[in-house]
Amino acid sequence: MLSVLLHRMRKAAKDAEKVAHTVEEHRQVYGTRLLIRGLLWVSIFMLSRGLLEMDFGPAWLRVVVALFPVPFFIWYLWTWFNGAAAMDELQRRIELEALGFAFPATAVYLMTIGLLDLAITLPPEDFSLHHIWMFLPIAYYAGLWRAKRRYE
Amino acid sequence: MKNRLKVLRAERDWSQQELAAQLGVSRQTINAIETEKYDPSLPLALKIGKLFGQCVEKIFTLDGVSSSEGDEPIALPAHEEPR
Repeated sequence: MLSVLLHRMRKAAKDAEKVAHTVEEHRQVYGTRLLIRGLLWVSIFMLSRGLLEMDFGPAWLRVVVALFPVPFFIWYLWTWFNGAAAMDELQRRIELEALGFAFPATAVYLMTIGLLDLAITLPPEDFSLHHIWMFLPIAYYAGLWRAKRRYE
Repeated sequence: MKNRLKVLRAERDWSQQELAAQLGVSRQTINAIETEKYDPSLPLALKIGKLFGQCVEKIFTLDGVSSSEGDEPIALPAHEEPR
């Protein structure tokens, strides 16, 4: 009777280990994909920006170059959504808290930049739309770090 | 909310990873529940109860409410009685 029980417990533990690999592997695969596609998107963005700053070619070509990073960003977002759908409840909560931090932080940042621009006219080479959008991913990753720390 | 998850897991000699796999969650989730930094959702709490063969109130208790008190249905104040 005891040996049967022990055998069942060992089998349950082995089966559990198999699933654990699936859960952990999913997280690793998701994280790696997100990183690679994110880096690809940022690289394409930097390339497009570099080309546009060179002031080359006709207007239609410049528009094409400006829109070129968009599909790569959508691919990155698609990876994020797919990964979020397969997350467990704590991971989803962490993502939600990260976004919950990033959204108001960005709102405060943009509001402050807007008011400061009215007050002293900020230099456009540092505070134009070319630059300030970068605060959004920074705020998201700061929120992610903060939320992860909370549940460690 | 307090819980006895760590004790129950130790009684069965399971690692956090093994328990996480049986529940279909990550090891971090189990750790966060055990350290009482995260309260599981009702479906996950019910799954935990089923896995350990105990009712949820025997595993999870509200702060300041003992598990024996938890056996009794909580009486709502008069103004909160369902209509």
